[in-house]
Amino acid sequence: MKEFAVRNLRLCTKDCLCLYVCPTGASDTENSVIDTDKCIGCGACARACPSGAISLVPVRMPPQQRKSPEVIAAMNALAAQKEACRALAATLANGARGGERAFFGAVARSCSLTTEDIYREAGYMLPQSGNVHKLLLSIAAGKDEKAAALADRLLALLPVNDR
Amino acid sequence: MKYICPVCGYVYDEAVQGAKWSELPADWECPVCGAPKSVFVPEPEEQAKNDSVPMPEQTEEAAKAAEYAVDMPLSVGELAAVCANLARGCEKMYMGEECELFLQLSRHYLSLVPPAQGDVAALSKAVASAAQKQFALSKATAENAGDRGAQRAIVWGERVNFVLRSLIEKYEAEGYAALTADRIWVCSVCGFIYIGEVPPAVCPVCKVPSFKFEKGDAAK
Ligand code: SF4
Ligand code: SF4
Ligand SMILES: [Fe+2]
Repeated sequence: MKEFAVRNLRLCTKDCLCLYVCPTGASDTENSVIDTDKCIGCGACARACPSGAISLVPVRMPPQQRKSPEVIAAMNALAAQKEACRALAATLANGARGGERAFFGAVARSCSLTTEDIYREAGYMLPQSGNVHKLLLSIAAGKDEKAAALADRLLALLPVNDR
Repeated sequence: MKYICPVCGYVYDEAVQGAKWSELPADWECPVCGAPKSVFVPEPEEQAKNDSVPMPEQTEEAAKAAEYAVDMPLSVGELAAVCANLARGCEKMYMGEECELFLQLSRHYLSLVPPAQGDVAALSKAVASAAQKQFALSKATAENAGDRGAQRAIVWGERVNFVLRSLIEKYEAEGYAALTADRIWVCSVCGFIYIGEVPPAVCPVCKVPSFKFEKGDAAK
């Protein structure tokens, strides 16, 4: 499986072994981000790094977990409830000031994070999945022009990995 | 007798702590995550647990059909959440341009959400009854399907929802005159809200370290 290397800057302690072992110079960059155009995914840097700061990411992701129709329905129902809570909290935040605004804003943000997580487990985990592709196609074909333009660009960028 | 915090799992054991549960003051809070005494649940004596509803057998065709058949129409608010989740997925996979496009889509949909109708009492009700009920229903479905990922998301979401419930109830009872954005922290991974000067070292719900917490004023 073709892979490329990525460096976690939070873990990197600049021991620089990755520079010594890299056959292409991909790991030696001024901004510390490994050059994906040069990287051949050999993994030498990840094995050599004493801080465990480099990992290898597949170029082509495996198909996402399959979800049963019952789970999809249950997760969608849950997401709808949490989104209703988010919308209400966001409206309350907009009408409030100071600490109250921050409080309801935080509630809205919290609801939003939960909703996102629930959708991840409702068949929208991988952006490259057929399911997301289908969603993007429907947005691209829709009347909302701004959304359609963004969906078009995403369709051009994202390969479908499970169809 | 033991009492368990539904948010972080902390166990108050009367035998170990000495003081009886009933002797603790009403404003006693979970020492780990700050959840109020009122949300603690007594440890079930005998696991009377197998009351989950049996689900009909799923056919091969139904499973196949469902794979691409997430045809439930999504509202603009829901689309915003789906796109925000996909942006996060792109970010994790180092797909910067795709991440940015999904974020733009998400913000676009968010701007189209009409203002909601309702006051704090309505929010309290939505969190404490509607959402809480749906968590229980969805949990049974995910357990029956043996879907670990869905169960994980439900457990985190349900715990965070408990926190929201207790915070909103507290707000309704006392107001939050002293609340400032500097003291509100949101875990950027699971949505756990913490009120205090500094965020906890580890999120009590999803266990990420404190640097994953956002300050309340960043809330959208
Ligand atoms: S070997 Fe590891 S710690 Fe050293 S510079 Fe490379 S990534 Fe950073
Ligand atoms: S995977 Fe190989 S080519 Fe890529 S940065 Fe690491 S050592 Fe260099
Ligand atoms: Fe968390």
